[in-house]
Amino acid sequence: MSATVSVVHRLRARIGVVAPPTEATVEAGHLKRFAEAIGDPNTRWTSEAPPTFLIALAPVSLHLAEAEEYGKGWLNGGNRFEYFEPVKVGDRITATGRVADVYEKTGSSGSLLFIIFETDYVNQHGRTVARLRGTAIRR
Amino acid sequence: MNVQVGQELPELVKHPTTRQLVQYAGAQGDFYEIHYDQAYAQSVALPGVILHGLLKAAFLGQLVTDWLGDRGSLKTFEVSYRGIDQPGRPYCCRGRVTKVEGDQVELEVWGEDSDSNRTTLGTATVEMTS
Repeated sequence: MSATVSVVHRLRARIGVVAPPTEATVEAGHLKRFAEAIGDPNTRWTSEAPPTFLIALAPVSLHLAEAEEYGKGWLNGGNRFEYFEPVKVGDRITATGRVADVYEKTGSSGSLLFIIFETDYVNQHGRTVARLRGTAIRR
Repeated sequence: MNVQVGQELPELVKHPTTRQLVQYAGAQGDFYEIHYDQAYAQSVALPGVILHGLLKAAFLGQLVTDWLGDRGSLKTFEVSYRGIDQPGRPYCCRGRVTKVEGDQVELEVWGEDSDSNRTTLGTATVEMTS
């Protein structure tokens, strides 16, 4: 148990840590593969990004190795997207992620570790196009 | 703008397969083994490979954008994953209008497994332009 407490403490020290920004261009081929993978035939997605595409475009490399000392595996708890501008083919997007929160919850089926990530997506004109809040769970 | 509280979105039924999970893993760049390796999934106490939460989010995103069309734009979209879903079983996306205030519309959306359990819950806000 003390090992688990120590993992939570060490992870809480990472709150506010910002990952190195990642950059990617929205390519027609990637949009096509993504739309096919989700099974959405809407022709709009040949030139514009569907609602969840940004996660696929620029994965944020914020690997918290110590989190893997907790529990057996990862689960995705949820995602919240906020959209400010459409994302189109050819846009150059910079994603910057940070650790927003870390906490532990104990329920009837045991303890879970929650890690909240926030990512800002900015286009080539310096305008924020979307913001994502994701909840990663160790169980 | 012909949108009223209580209005239901046309249902969207998806039929995810293991092939689709591999396709999605590639398109998203998420190669966590619980989505394509049965033995690995079982080793972490899952019944077998499971759908990516974000694939279910994409299904619900399609439910909303199919309904919205070019009548407006999506402003927020939030999903919470409450249960696991396995390939080979239909996944039904549903939603309804919960609030209309001027051109701002709020929706409740959810995904149901074949036993009608709501395994994904979500909300969306849209701004209508016509």
